[in-house]
Amino acid sequence: MERKAYGRDFGLSLRLGTTMFVLGLVYVAFFVILLTLFGDSIGIFGIVVIMGILAFVQYFTSDKLALLASGAKVVERDQAPELHDMVERLAGMADLPMPRVAVIPTDIPNAFATGRSPKKSVVAVTEGLWNRLEPREIEGVVAHELTHIANRDVAVMTIASFFAMVAATLARFGLWGGMFGGGRDRGGGAPVWLILFAVSILTYVISYVLMMMISRYREYAADRGAAVITGAPEYLMSALQKIASRITQIPQRDLREVSGMNAFFIVPTSVKRGFAELFMTHPPLEKRLARLAEISRQMGRPVEL
Amino acid sequence: VGLTDVLLGRKRLKKAAGDKLFALSSARITLDVELGLKPAGTGAVLFKPMSSAEYVRAENEMQELLEAVAQESASRVTRRGDEFGFEWLIVEDNDFEELVTSVHLVASELAAHGFGEQLLAAVFRFDGGDHPLYLVYGFKRGAFWPFIPMGEKERDNANELELKAKLEKELPIEQDLSRWFALFDAPI
Repeated sequence: MERKAYGRDFGLSLRLGTTMFVLGLVYVAFFVILLTLFGDSIGIFGIVVIMGILAFVQYFTSDKLALLASGAKVVERDQAPELHDMVERLAGMADLPMPRVAVIPTDIPNAFATGRSPKKSVVAVTEGLWNRLEPREIEGVVAHELTHIANRDVAVMTIASFFAMVAATLARFGLWGGMFGGGRDRGGGAPVWLILFAVSILTYVISYVLMMMISRYREYAADRGAAVITGAPEYLMSALQKIASRITQIPQRDLREVSGMNAFFIVPTSVKRGFAELFMTHPPLEKRLARLAEISRQMGRPVEL
Repeated sequence: VGLTDVLLGRKRLKKAAGDKLFALSSARITLDVELGLKPAGTGAVLFKPMSSAEYVRAENEMQELLEAVAQESASRVTRRGDEFGFEWLIVEDNDFEELVTSVHLVASELAAHGFGEQLLAAVFRFDGGDHPLYLVYGFKRGAFWPFIPMGEKERDNANELELKAKLEKELPIEQDLSRWFALFDAPI
C-alpha cells in the first residue's frame, strides 16, 4: 500500500539507531572500566545484580506504577463507552490488541500510555483532554499514545535507563566510600572511590543526554504514527497546540466546590508541575508541529500554520 | 510555613489578606477606558459559615456584624446563602470607591468576629461587555483573577487572559492560572 511510505522516516530511524548504538557503547565502556577496577571483588557486581532485580520488578509493574503515580483509574466500557469506542477503532487501525483504558481526574488535558507489551498496555487520558478537545483532536492524541505502545517505548526506555540507574547508584557508593574511608589505595594513584565516582558520574551524564535524545526521537516517531493511523495530522497539530496553551490551565470548576474538597487550598489542586517535568523528554512544540506539517504536505492534506 | 510546622504537621489556614482590595480603584479606570467596562455597583464577600455546633453563636455574631457595617457605611448589605453552602454578603453601592471600602469593611469585620479563616473571596461585577465580568479576589492568595461566565458552565478564557495582560500593572493578578476557579451563578 502506498500509505505505508508515510510510516517510515529514514533519517529519523538512522538517528535513533545511531543514538542507541552510542548509548550501548557508553554502557560497554562503563562495564569494561568496572571490570578493570573491581575484577577481583564481588561487591560491585552484587550492586549491579540487585539493580537488575529492581529494574526487572519495575519493568513488570511499570503499568501499575504509572497508573498509581498519575491517579489514573481504569474504566470499563460502560463507564466510558465513547472513549472505549474511539480507542478500539484506533487500536484496530494500528493493528494492536485493545489496551485497557484509564481516566485521570484532572482538568489539564494530557495523556500517556504505559505497559511493557501491547497486551499489557494502558492508555490513560485526563478528563481535561476529553472535555476540552474536539473528538478528532482526541483521536490524534490517542493514536500518538497507541504508537508508543506499538513501538514498545516503555520497554525500550526502561532498558535504556537501566545502566544509567546503575551508574547513578555506583556514583553514590563511590562517594560514601570516599567519605567513610572504605576505598583502598592502589599504589599511589588516585583512590579507587574517586575513579568509581568520576566514571559513574560521567556515564550517568552522557547516558542521560542520550536517553533524552532517544525519547525525543520516539516522540517524533509517535507523532508520525498518529498521523498515519488517523490520516489527519492537522488534528494532532491543533491538539498539541491546545495542550501546550495556557488557556487550558484555567479551570472550569467552581471555587466553592474546590475549596470544600481541599480545605482551602492546603493541598495544591494541580498536578501541572509533574506533567511539565515529563515534557522535558519531549521535543519542542514548534519542531513537532513543523514535522507534522511536513507529513501533512506529503499526504496532500491542507495545512494552516 | 516554618520547618517545625512542616515536621509537626500543623500548617495553619492562611489568614486573609484584604488590603490589596483598594488596588481596584485604578484598575477600574483601565477597565472603563480600554474596554468600556463599568462597575455594576455590586460586590460581595464569599465565606464558608461555621459548622452547625457553632451556628447560634455565629448567627448572633453575624447580626452584630451587619449592624456594625450599617453604622459605618452607607452601602446596602444583604446576606444570602447558595447551593454550595456558602454565605454571600452582598454589598450594593453606586459609588465604586464606597463599594470597595464597604467590601473591605465587611471582610475585616468578618475577620474580627473570628471568621477570618473562613473568608474565601471578594467578588466585584463589571458590565458593558457581551458577558458580565467578575473580578474575584482570593483572600488566601492575596491576588485577583478575572471570571467571565458564558452560559451555564462555559467561561470566556480568551478574554480572561486578555484582561490579565491589561490589568497586570495595576492589580496583583494570580499568576497560577490553574487557580482561576470559576464562580458560576454568583448572586451579584
